[in-house]
Amino acid sequence: MAHPSQLGFQDAASPVMEELLHFHDHALMIVFLISTFVLYIIVAMVTTNLTNKFILDSQEIEIIWTLLPAVILILIALPSLRILYLMDEINNPHLTIKAMGHQWYWSYEYTDYEDLGFDSYMIFTQDLTPGQFRLLEVDHRMVVPMESPIRALISAEDVLHSWAVPSLGVKMDAVPGRLNQTAFIASRPGIFYGQCSEICGANHSFMPIVVEAVPLVHFENWSSLMLEDA
Amino acid sequence: MAGEDRETQTKGLKLLGILDVQNTPCAREAILHGAGGSVAAGLLYFLATSRVKRSYDVGFAGFMVTTLGSWFYCRMNNAKLRVQQRLIQEGIKNKVAYEGTVMDPTRKGKAEAPSGPS
Repeated sequence: MAHPSQLGFQDAASPVMEELLHFHDHALMIVFLISTFVLYIIVAMVTTNLTNKFILDSQEIEIIWTLLPAVILILIALPSLRILYLMDEINNPHLTIKAMGHQWYWSYEYTDYEDLGFDSYMIFTQDLTPGQFRLLEVDHRMVVPMESPIRALISAEDVLHSWAVPSLGVKMDAVPGRLNQTAFIASRPGIFYGQCSEICGANHSFMPIVVEAVPLVHFENWSSLMLEDA
Repeated sequence: MAGEDRETQTKGLKLLGILDVQNTPCAREAILHGAGGSVAAGLLYFLATSRVKRSYDVGFAGFMVTTLGSWFYCRMNNAKLRVQQRLIQEGIKNKVAYEGTVMDPTRKGKAEAPSGPS
């Protein structure tokens, strides 16, 4: 999860998010250099004593400031397009989970083998135990096996919602009457937090998403327990 | 738990308020190389021409070129290491999974040895 006053991305928990972080660093370095260049030019212009009232044109600088931005844009576009297509690769998911948005909670359905479904409500602040995170914890987490490709089918029952988990690099709109598909792989075990990302009413800020990645044997135990409780 | 995150994560220095040099891989090295390249280029140009203002411009150009060069070189090396790491991880996983089965690539040598009584 994010720590207080955090501005940057959270640590990556999926290969796609790792690639996004690397691309972000690359683009940010280019932005930093451009900003430094502009700052230097501004200081140079403000502090110069030179004046020339007779300059009409300059072909050389026109060529430079046409070609250089094009080169910079290509340097940014190539890795960007690579990641764009990487995110859409077909990955043969091992598991399909449906995440349905409601006002104001999420429900998850694991229907590949058995009929497992449950609701995931936020835990209220007064019910939190020490060590739990305010406005982020839920009563039933979405448990997934780690290092397995997961397909998530996102939809909504009432109004627009959006299922987002920043550390997995996933965000997908939940649209009533439409099934949106996204995929992710949790590279490491852990608990990953997200929040609804489309305004959906009074409690839009109070319907978080919690994904818990565990080894496969623990996932099988958990699903057996959930089926018994159902 | 949030307190532990704060202690373990070094508070990065953000150049121009945007570039976190401490926590961005290769950024610190690139900026340091850039600073060194800038000083070297500007100084050499000044020693050769004694033009102060132009030396600053050359120094700045040296900073940009050295930073970019160091950045891309470091990032390419990191990318190659990441690919190697993934291959090794995949190899270890496959070795554990396939050992002793027909898909074990090291099994061929054992299959050729005669198994019946001599």
